[in-house]
Amino acid sequence: MKTSVIQKLESIVGTENLLTAKEDCFLYSYDASFPEFQPDVVVLPRTTEAVSGVMALASEERVPVVPRGAGTGLSGGSVPAQGGIVLSLTKMNRILDLDADNLVSQVEPGLVNAHLQAAVAPYGLFFPPDPASMKVCTLGGNVVEDAGGPKCFKYGVTKNYILGLEVVLPEGEVIDTGGCVIKNTTGYDLTRLFIGSEGTLGVVTKIILRLLPVPEGKRTMLALFDSLNAASRAVGAIVGVGIIPSALEMMDNLLIRAAEDFVHVGLPTDAAAMLLIEVDGAEAGLDPQVKAIEQVCREAGVRDWKVATSASEVDSLWLARRTVIGAAGRVRPSLVLQDVTVPRNLLPDMVARVVEISEKYDLPIGVLAHAGDGNLHPLILFDGRNAEEMKRVKDAEKEIFATALELDGTLTGEHGVGLTKMKYLSWQLKPREVEINRELKALFDPQNILNPGKIFA
Amino acid sequence: MTDQTLKLEEALYRCNKCGFCQATCPFYQSTQEEWTVARGRLRLMKAVMEDALPVSDRYIRGIFQCFTCGACSATCPSGLQVDEMLLEGRRDTVLKGLLPESLARLGQTITTTGNLTGEASDVRLSWAQNLEFTPPQRGNHEVIYFAGCVSSLYPQAYGLPQSMVRLLERTEVDYAILGGDEVCCGYPLFISGQEDEAREMAKANVGQVREAGATRLIVTCPSCYRAWREFYPQLLGEDPGVEVVHATQWLMDAGLSLKPLEKKVTYHDPCDLGRGSGIYDPPREFLSRIEGLELVEMPYARAEAMCCGGGGNMESLDPPASQSVIQMRMKQASGTGADWVVTACPQCKRTLASARAKDICMPVVDIVQLAWRSVSGT
Repeated sequence: MKTSVIQKLESIVGTENLLTAKEDCFLYSYDASFPEFQPDVVVLPRTTEAVSGVMALASEERVPVVPRGAGTGLSGGSVPAQGGIVLSLTKMNRILDLDADNLVSQVEPGLVNAHLQAAVAPYGLFFPPDPASMKVCTLGGNVVEDAGGPKCFKYGVTKNYILGLEVVLPEGEVIDTGGCVIKNTTGYDLTRLFIGSEGTLGVVTKIILRLLPVPEGKRTMLALFDSLNAASRAVGAIVGVGIIPSALEMMDNLLIRAAEDFVHVGLPTDAAAMLLIEVDGAEAGLDPQVKAIEQVCREAGVRDWKVATSASEVDSLWLARRTVIGAAGRVRPSLVLQDVTVPRNLLPDMVARVVEISEKYDLPIGVLAHAGDGNLHPLILFDGRNAEEMKRVKDAEKEIFATALELDGTLTGEHGVGLTKMKYLSWQLKPREVEINRELKALFDPQNILNPGKIFA
Repeated sequence: MTDQTLKLEEALYRCNKCGFCQATCPFYQSTQEEWTVARGRLRLMKAVMEDALPVSDRYIRGIFQCFTCGACSATCPSGLQVDEMLLEGRRDTVLKGLLPESLARLGQTITTTGNLTGEASDVRLSWAQNLEFTPPQRGNHEVIYFAGCVSSLYPQAYGLPQSMVRLLERTEVDYAILGGDEVCCGYPLFISGQEDEAREMAKANVGQVREAGATRLIVTCPSCYRAWREFYPQLLGEDPGVEVVHATQWLMDAGLSLKPLEKKVTYHDPCDLGRGSGIYDPPREFLSRIEGLELVEMPYARAEAMCCGGGGNMESLDPPASQSVIQMRMKQASGTGADWVVTACPQCKRTLASARAKDICMPVVDIVQLAWRSVSGT
């Protein structure tokens, strides 16, 4: 990168917010997925004005810019595939406003999801999107990936909770979308366009989000099964009796063992599958729902059934679930995490196919699912140093994608296309649909400098 | 390649970059920069091991400038013992003669004077001078009270050893202190990879305790506790041959007659006592025995406890980072609405009390001081 560009970046963001050393380039070359590519420089601005300055300069100099939050994305969205400037938003992490009366908050993109939750909890409020990585992931990342999480089945995903944004466009212009009201249909829905755009259309610098009152109560249940098939059929049966749980998560034996190895909460390591189920709402309605769910599970052949009796037990069960992807590192050092989503009633078929694929390619594949959404996270475990194994991983990946699409599903429910699913985009989107996507991209970013090399091959 | 290196290489490969270490790292919480968190440090170590990066100043910063609080190791879902991995990196750097200058100076100070501050050894007795009795020093005694450098050399921490010996006198324990013959336990040397120097300290201290014929060593400092129990056997290749007890464990069985104290307190888990030694319940149980005392937990408590800001030699390596973490922790403490912060470590007590934030005005008390107040009714 030209020295003059680095000097200008330094005057825009400040010396202490500019990183140019080779070591720093290593440190900003990755997220939580497999690929790694190094940037030329890293900036960590603290204001919208600074972000705008960086984009204007990058546009003038035709230098790629890759926005980044915590770097915990699962599809390579914040990996600088074409080098350039990594634009970290982590230092823009303030809560700008909390309007508890109107259930609205305005925050900066670098604010960690869990820190928002902790700040609004004293007001009896919460922000429903709760990705597994909520203790570390940032709201800006949640917005541009349209993040999900266990609560999504009942509450919806990130896009259902964003009322407006402030966005810096690729050439540096700052625009506002939406507003602070719940219903707003003035003009096209630009807010929704930026949500899930994976940092390729603009850099989000403010988020106006919607909160909900914390439900009066909740109940957390653990159901253990002797087969994955029985567990995945129980999922449909629960919904079939008219219950939408606030969480309905599934894990197979491989992941139960990995999780138990880390958290030691007494998960039975011989169970083929577990469902972690939660219902929330008015206290009076909870126990009847628990009974109904228990009945459904027993009819589906549940082996063991329990309702958590203390807050610490609930926390332990959720710790086991939320850390399971990291805990899989105890089994094999490398992993590729899929995010396919199918109609819920076809989840048993998808799960069965994943088991077959695991056997066919002789690779451990952990089955993890936001089962209520039909969102499966097959974890393909391997050793990335073994080239032969890598080839089998690629083949297994292809079959998983092909199967999901055969079942009327999607390649990605909540992690984004990023780098890791790019070459399969045309398997799902028709040529004209891809073309429209590209035209939109070109409208916002004619020079293709903002997070280039993502989504479209 | 040695077994140790192979093990480290394999461990480095097992980091699947989930980034969950960010959640509990005090340094990352105050900087939001990747180099300060375990994932980043391990990525640098991996790059150097693969010869993709040289051993540079930035690498050395990544290996040494750390609070060594162990929160990352406790949080890592893959089970990586990050603090041990970084320690290995430090040992290797020391062998290459690349120890950071301030740590080399600290090492020199400790090995030539036997203490952290470089003062003459009789200064170690200053805390004992204004007591209503003279703590025994020579002869054979069943118990040695090992005060440690922080308690002995920093006036803000004098209250700890003073309270401790008053409690020992009150319960008629056959104890002695080592006074000017006590040298630094060697903890700061061990954690910065200066093992040979740490071994010298270990030999000197163990020799003193054996000469006194003691069977029990009581410490008020969790770092001394870990040094004696965990590092000394590694350094000396044998057990020091004395039962090592932290004050929080001694308090539980001391049979103290406690008077009420009407206070709302919050408890800060010292890194070396909590995560480092698994001692979470004894201090809490002791506090629950004092009538009128209400304990309210801080956020980031027990295994998730945030460092006080005084760990990892960071006060000398990176004073602004240290102060930033101190203030963060004190804000968490004052957010509980408690009257006092109680801790069980002279370094935590001294460090937290040095928070330079005008809106925080909260006394920091060590548990042995609180115990003496309850016993004496003062």
